[in-house]
Amino acid sequence: MFLQKSKIKKSRIDWFFIGIVAVLLTIGTISIFSSVVSLPNQLKIVRTHLLALPIAFIAFFIVWNFNYQVFQDQWKIVYSAMIISLTAVLFFGIADKGAQSWFRLPFFSVQPSEFVRIGLILVIANYLDKSMGKIKEFSTVLIVLLISLPIFFLLIKQPDFSAIMTMLPIVLIMLFCAGARLFHIFAIMGFVFITVLLPILWTMIDLNPELAQNSFINFFYNFSHVNWYLAAVLAILIFFTYLLWFVLSKFYLNIPKLYFVGIISVVTLGLFSGIAVKKQMKYYQQKRLEVFLSPDTDPKGAGYNLIQAQIAIGSGGLMGKGVFSGTQAKLGFVPERHTDFILAVIGEEMGFVGIILVMSLYIFLMRRVINIAYLARDRFGYLVNCGIFGMFAVYFSINFGMLLGLNPVAGVPLPLLSYGGSNLVSTMIAIGITQSIYSRRYALA
Amino acid sequence: MIEKQLPHDRLNFLKISVYFLSFLFVLKVVNIQILNYSHYKGIAEKNKTQIISQTAPRGRIFTKDKVLVAGSSPSFSLVYFPVGGISAQYAENLAGSLSKYLDVPLDKIRKRLFLAVKKGSPVKIAENLSDHSMFLINELKTIYQGINIITEAQRFYPMDGFLSHLVGYVGKISPGEWKYLRDDKDYSMDSYIGKTGIEKRFEKDLKGKDGGIYLEVDSKGRLMQILESKKSVIGSNIYLTIDSKLQAAAEEGLKATGSGSGAVVAVNPLNGAILAFASLPDFDLNAFVRGAANKNFENVKEFNYATQGTFPPASTFKIIVAAAALETGKIDLKEEIFCPGYFDAGSRVFKCWKKEGHGPVDFYKGMSNSCDVYFYNLGIRTGPLNIEKFAKAFRLGIPTGIRLPDEKSGNVFGPSRRARKKSYWFIGDTLNLSIGQGEMLVTPAQMAQVIAAVANRGKFWQPYYIEKVVSLKNHETYVAMPELLSSVNFKTSTWEHLRESLKRVVLEGTGYSAAIKGVDVYGKTGTAQNPHGADHAWFVAFAEIDGSPSEIAVCVLVEYGEHGSSSAAPIAKRVIEAALRNKLAWQSDSAAARQVEPKEKAKRQIGIKSQSNGEDAPQETGTSGAMEQAD
Repeated sequence: MFLQKSKIKKSRIDWFFIGIVAVLLTIGTISIFSSVVSLPNQLKIVRTHLLALPIAFIAFFIVWNFNYQVFQDQWKIVYSAMIISLTAVLFFGIADKGAQSWFRLPFFSVQPSEFVRIGLILVIANYLDKSMGKIKEFSTVLIVLLISLPIFFLLIKQPDFSAIMTMLPIVLIMLFCAGARLFHIFAIMGFVFITVLLPILWTMIDLNPELAQNSFINFFYNFSHVNWYLAAVLAILIFFTYLLWFVLSKFYLNIPKLYFVGIISVVTLGLFSGIAVKKQMKYYQQKRLEVFLSPDTDPKGAGYNLIQAQIAIGSGGLMGKGVFSGTQAKLGFVPERHTDFILAVIGEEMGFVGIILVMSLYIFLMRRVINIAYLARDRFGYLVNCGIFGMFAVYFSINFGMLLGLNPVAGVPLPLLSYGGSNLVSTMIAIGITQSIYSRRYALA
Repeated sequence: MIEKQLPHDRLNFLKISVYFLSFLFVLKVVNIQILNYSHYKGIAEKNKTQIISQTAPRGRIFTKDKVLVAGSSPSFSLVYFPVGGISAQYAENLAGSLSKYLDVPLDKIRKRLFLAVKKGSPVKIAENLSDHSMFLINELKTIYQGINIITEAQRFYPMDGFLSHLVGYVGKISPGEWKYLRDDKDYSMDSYIGKTGIEKRFEKDLKGKDGGIYLEVDSKGRLMQILESKKSVIGSNIYLTIDSKLQAAAEEGLKATGSGSGAVVAVNPLNGAILAFASLPDFDLNAFVRGAANKNFENVKEFNYATQGTFPPASTFKIIVAAAALETGKIDLKEEIFCPGYFDAGSRVFKCWKKEGHGPVDFYKGMSNSCDVYFYNLGIRTGPLNIEKFAKAFRLGIPTGIRLPDEKSGNVFGPSRRARKKSYWFIGDTLNLSIGQGEMLVTPAQMAQVIAAVANRGKFWQPYYIEKVVSLKNHETYVAMPELLSSVNFKTSTWEHLRESLKRVVLEGTGYSAAIKGVDVYGKTGTAQNPHGADHAWFVAFAEIDGSPSEIAVCVLVEYGEHGSSSAAPIAKRVIEAALRNKLAWQSDSAAARQVEPKEKAKRQIGIKSQSNGEDAPQETGTSGAMEQAD
C-alpha cells in the first residue's frame, strides 16, 4: 500500500513539485496584480510582492541546499529565535489591524509569526522524533503542548488568533501522524473545543442580548467569569462523573479511571482557558466569530464580506470574467481581496476553471508533500513533512471553506497565491525544507 | 525500517480526508459558479451599476388643427453621488449651501444627503431647478464633489388651463399606483403618471421609454465610469378631435359671462366627434407638474360641468316634448291655444314665464316663444308616458359614454319610473315634465348629444375626442371609429316641423342672439330654475349652410347665467361662427352681429321647489307648489 521508492524518479530535484509551486506562484502574482489595480496603495503592494518573490526564491535555495537535519541538531537555537522574535515584536513591533505583529524594516515589514509556524513544526518534529519510544504516553503529548504554549501565549498577547488557529491543528496533525494515542489527541481537541466554543457562545450572547432570555443559554452565560456558578458547575460535573464510574464499576465494566479524570480535567481546563480567551478577545474578533455563526445578520458589516466574496465567485461562472476584468473585487465589494480573499478574485476572473485548477494544484502539492514524507530517510524528515502537509491542509481548508461560507473569516492567507511577503517567504522556506528532505532521501543517516 | 515504526496509515487517512473535503468544495463551487451562475451574476451586475433614470418626454397632445396642448420641457434635477469617506461636517456644510441655493428646508436636504451617504448610492436631492439655482449650483460643483445636474423631460402645458378637464394632468406616482406598477420596468418610485383625463386614459401610449445613465460604481457608490447612456424614447402623440378655434371661442365666451362658470360642448353631428369641450372654471395643469413647489391644490376646480354637472334641461326639453307630440300625432300644428299667462290645473295654477300671457299660440309660436302654457297643454295631450319614453329614446338618463371620469347619468322622471318607486303621479308632474323642470336632470354633454341627434335626424353617436394616436415611427396605433349608439326613426314630417320650429326660435324667438347671417341656425333656449341663486342659462343649437348636413351642434350651459337668450346663445353663436369660419370667410360683419342688443328683457320668477345648484343634489319632487318657467 505504500509507495514504492523505485516508482519515484531518482532525481535530486522534484521537478513536478517545483512545477506546481511555480504555476501557483504565477497564478497568485497575476491575481494579486489584477486585484490591486484600483487600490490606492497598489504601487507599494506590487513593489513589495516583486521584492518578496526573489527573497522567497533565495530563501528556498538556501534552505534546499541545507541539510534539514541541522534544524534538528540546533533546535534550541530555532526555539530561542522563535521566543525572542515573538517577544521582541511585542515591544518593538508595529500594530496593524489591531494586532501588534509586525517588524518595520526599511522596505517592508516582517511578520515573525509566519516564520514561527515553520519553527514550531521543526521543534515539535524534533521532540516527537526523540520521544518516539514513549509516544503512547500522555506526558509526551503534554510536553508537545507545553512546547507550543509559550508561543501561543505570545501570540495571544499580540493578539493574533489567526496564527493560533492555524498552528494548533498543525500540532495536532503532527501528534496524530507520530502515532500518539487517539484518546490523548481527543482530550486535547476536547479541551480546545471547550476553550473555543464557550467564548463563541458568550460572544454571541454579548452581541445579541436577547438570547439570554432563554434560561438554558443564560445558564452557560453565568459562568463566563470565574465565580460561584463556575465552581458549582464543576462540582456537579465531578460528582456525576464519579457516579458514572461508580455505577459502571458495579457492573464490572472496568474502564480506566484515567478516562474519567481526563474528561474532568479537559472540561475544567477548557472552561478556564475559555474564560481567559474571552477576556483576551478584541471586538473585531468577536464580530468575526459572530459572522461565522450567521453570515446574514449584518449584511453591511462583517458578514457582507463573506456574501460579497460568494457573489464574486458565483458571478465568475465557468470561464470567469477574464483577468483584470473582475468587477466585484475591483470595485471594492470584496475586501482584503489581495490577501484573505484572493480566491474570490481567482473565482471571479478565472471562473470555475481557475478555481478547480488552483484546487487541483493544491491537492497535488499536498500529495507530493505526503509522498516525500514517505520517502524521507529519517523520522524527523517524515514528521517535518507531516507538519508541512498539515500547514497546507489547514490553509487549504480554511481558505476554501471561508470563501464558501463554511468557516470563520480569520485573516488566513492562501499560501503561494495571496499577497504577503512574510507568508510567501516562510512558505518557500517550508517548501525548501521539503525539497531538502526529498533531495537527501538516499543519504545515510 | 522507518515505515514499520511510523503509522503511515494515519497520514494516508489525512490525505483521504483532504480529498473528501476537496470533494465538498467542488460541489459547493459547482453549485455557486455553474448552477447559480446567473443569480450571482445578476447580483454582481446590480452591485456595480447604478441607474440614474431620465424621464422620457411624454407624447404630445395636439388639437385637430395641430395646436399643441401638452408638450414637454426640459427640467433639471440635482443628483448627489456620495464621495467616499466624507465627514459629517462636510455633509453638513454641503447641506447648508444647497439649502440656501435651492431654497429648500435644510432638514429635507440633510435627510436626503445623509441617506445618500449611508446607502452609498446616488440620490436625487432636488427636482425642477430654477435657472438661478442652476447657476449657483454650477459654482458649488467646483467646491464640493459629487454634485451632478441631470436633464429630464417634464410635462408642460403651453396654454395652462386650456382644455384642462379633457387633457388632465400628470403627477408623482402614488403608493396605490405603485403597487400595481412595481413590476413594470418603465416605472420607478419617482415616476410621473397620468392622473386624470387623457393623461390617465392614454398613459401607456404617452409614457414613452425612460432612458438612463448606467454608472459603474464601486462598493462605496463612487462613480467609476459611465457604462452606457440610454436615450429615452418619446411617447406617442395624440391628436384630438377638438378644434382649437372652437375651444377658444367656447372658453372665452364662458369666461366673459358674469359667473364665469359653465360648460360648452360642441359636437359634429355627423360622427359624434367633439369639437369643443369647455368647462369653467378650469385649472392650471402645470401646477400639478410643479407639484411640490406650489402645492396649493385645494383651490383647483376639477369639477367638470360638462359631464358631472346635472341641471334641469328646462325649455331645451321642449324639443323632446315637441318631437313626442309630433311623432305621436297628438298635435294640430294650426291649432292655437290661448295663453293667458297661467294654466289652471285644478288644485293649482301653473304660470307661464310671461306673466301677461302670449295670447293665441300655435306650435311654431309656442316653440319660438317657449310658451309654457302651450307645452302644458301639449304635454297633457301627448301624455307623460310618451314624453318619458321619448326622453329615454333621446338617451337622457344614461351616460353619453364620453369616457371621462365620473360621468353623471342625470335623471329622467316619468310615470313608469314613479310607478317603479311605488309612488303616485300627479297632473302637476305632467306639467313639470312638459317644460323640463322637476326631477328631470341632464348634463350639458347629454344635451349636446340630443341636439346633434336633431341635427342629423335621429342618430346618436358615441361622443369621442381622440382622433388618433400616432407613435414615434408614425404608426397610427389608435384611430377613432365613430360608433352609432342608437337611432330614432321619426316621420320625415316630425323632423321637418321640429327643425322649422327650432329655426324660428333663432329667427324670431328667444334665440335671436344666435342668428348668423348666411347660416341657418337652429336652436332652443332654456332657463333652469335655481332656488339658491340666479337661474342657469341653456342654449342648444346646430347650424347648416345651404341645406348641407350640419357639421356643428353645440350645447351651452352658463351657471347663474339667468337667461338662455342673453348669456348662453351668444356663446353658441361664437362657437358656430368659429366652426364655420372657412365657409363664412366672406362675411365680415359677423363680429358686429354679435353685439346686437337684446330686444327685450326676459323676466323670471323664482320657483320654490325645483332646485339645481350645479351639483348632483337630491331632487325634491315637483308635485307641490307652483312651477314657474321663465324664458
